[in-house]
Amino acid sequence: MVQINYRAEVIPEKCTGCVDCVFVCPTLAIKMESRKAVIDESKCVACQNCIGICCDDAIVKLERAVPVEREVDYTTVNQDRILEICKRANIHPMQWLCLCTSTRAREGAAAILQGAKTPEDMALMTGTRSGCTVYCSMMSMRLLKAAGINIPLSHKWHLFDTTQSLWDVPKEIIDKYAGYFLEEDKDVFRKF
Amino acid sequence: MSTLAVASLKKARPSYIRKSMYGPATPTGQPEMRASDLPGMVALPVQALFPDIPKAIYVEGDDLAPIRKATAEALANVNMDKIQPDSSVNILTSQYGFMIMGGFAYREMVRTIKEIVEQRTGCTDIRLRIATGFRLKEPEEIIKHYELDKMFNGKVSPALYIDRAVEIDTPIGKLMGIHKIYNADFIIHVHHGELRELDMHRMISRTMKPFSMSYARFETRSVHHMNFGPRSSNLIPRLIFESPFVQKKFTFGVFMAASPQGVVGVEAGNDLMPIDRRLMLLAFKSYGKIRELYNEIKDCVCIIDGSGEPRYMVGGGTTFGNLTEAELDLFDLDTVPISLGFGLYQPPPTQPKLKAVNPAVKALVMNHFWTGVPQMELATACPMILVGDEMHKLVKEDCMNITMADHVVTAQNLPAALRFAKRIAQTDNIIAFDGAYGAITCSEALADHLIKRAPIANQRVEEELMPKWLRQRGFDPSEAL
Repeated sequence: MVQINYRAEVIPEKCTGCVDCVFVCPTLAIKMESRKAVIDESKCVACQNCIGICCDDAIVKLERAVPVEREVDYTTVNQDRILEICKRANIHPMQWLCLCTSTRAREGAAAILQGAKTPEDMALMTGTRSGCTVYCSMMSMRLLKAAGINIPLSHKWHLFDTTQSLWDVPKEIIDKYAGYFLEEDKDVFRKF
Repeated sequence: MSTLAVASLKKARPSYIRKSMYGPATPTGQPEMRASDLPGMVALPVQALFPDIPKAIYVEGDDLAPIRKATAEALANVNMDKIQPDSSVNILTSQYGFMIMGGFAYREMVRTIKEIVEQRTGCTDIRLRIATGFRLKEPEEIIKHYELDKMFNGKVSPALYIDRAVEIDTPIGKLMGIHKIYNADFIIHVHHGELRELDMHRMISRTMKPFSMSYARFETRSVHHMNFGPRSSNLIPRLIFESPFVQKKFTFGVFMAASPQGVVGVEAGNDLMPIDRRLMLLAFKSYGKIRELYNEIKDCVCIIDGSGEPRYMVGGGTTFGNLTEAELDLFDLDTVPISLGFGLYQPPPTQPKLKAVNPAVKALVMNHFWTGVPQMELATACPMILVGDEMHKLVKEDCMNITMADHVVTAQNLPAALRFAKRIAQTDNIIAFDGAYGAITCSEALADHLIKRAPIANQRVEEELMPKWLRQRGFDPSEAL
């Protein structure tokens, strides 16, 4: 279970309407209204990307009056289907999906089985992407793709679909770069 | 070496701590007390333990002239013909360079590069880019602290992993760079040769790593760390570096070469591969021995006491991450770590079982550090004691380790924290990671142990380990002599 204790809030007088924060929000919680950024508190996972990119220091972190809890109970869905998605993604169910929130891949697969259709859905359901927002990003995408979901990428630099993994390296590259253990490292990961 | 007596050791000199919004909000930005001020803590000189580790031309506080001279000499044979008077050039730097020994050596190297490029090419549109790990506001802090805006006439900009993207075609498909890194005709890659995170780079394409980390968007950092393995991940920076897009812009690389002694020189060149090999040899000879010496520590209390994340905090010129995995020989490419980053959860068959943190670390005292990296394994694998309410608040609010506060206790001051840690650990061996190079800040008991064990570590590296490391990377062992 991921408990989110904070939220981001815009100081309207400082916001210059540059829109940068809109593009970096992992849950698409920020919209522009009257040329000012507005954050949907219910979607904010307190990752602080918006605070980090704001050149005008117009966004601050505030403690929530009531923390928000995000959790997907993987035990309530079909375990065979979790394994099937993970196998297709070449990700072990017990691998970390998100290091910051200690979320395993099986919870990501369970979120998909419970209706997650986008990386943003996945983040809001599991609480992932509330920390560094980095490492879990392509893991989530790999799971969604493995489930056969076509991921819409609407915002111009919000998120790009580059989910290459060890299993996507062409043989000629494996042969050319022998000192990189490209075949051998597959065994490190996939031990179903 | 055997003549070194604990009684003759001097007081340690820890590194300067830069004030940061990512550190504990103490009134001064500094801890109330440094680990080196604790009774019985001494500075154990690296030179005395391993006389053949390359000597430093600079340690923190020294005159910067040797850095300037070494940079100028290293650049003398670098071809800058690509750069024309009307070209635009981005000098690419990473935040960690500014954390090494207070950051002024890296700053001086950057300044020297800028001035020499201006002199030799007539180019005036030279900009500075500062990439960062996870602390998005850190480049702004760096620009202000080191007065880089003034140095570059305002042409300075942070480069964040969430900034606008640029697509880079590689043999495994598109990977994503940061637009601000590449938005010039040419780039100059300015990095360091400090060991930092051996568990990640394994001294494979070490010089290229920033191309898939510092200079890359978050998607590509995720691909590097999570989608590839502990050795194969290092292909990602190489593929980006060798891409036509990067090669068209790349001019040369400059590296601040370091050993546990301090800065030992500057390496520069148009071809990164020879530099890669030179830095590799330097790492084997110097960091290899310190790592092996840390493997001789069977129980200790660690005090984290400096600028940056605990894993990258330096003690004896070597990052703490090298003690947390010292029980594994990570220069050995047959060894596969499981503990960090790669999303692994059990050791591969035939590999030694590894706990998330070296079992020799019996307790951790966190006197001062910055947030900015997922590091839950530290708090869950060994007892962690925070020093002071400000440190507790910092950990409680850390979004990258959301439950860490549930696994720690807080002491009111450093002596109290250490007393508690020693009761848990049942040892007098204390080592501080306080940013110091050239000497290990440690207790007299640990100093005595390390003095005795250094010859054994030295012999093991020279006779057994280094030949293996060299063979694995295609070196003739005679090259290392």
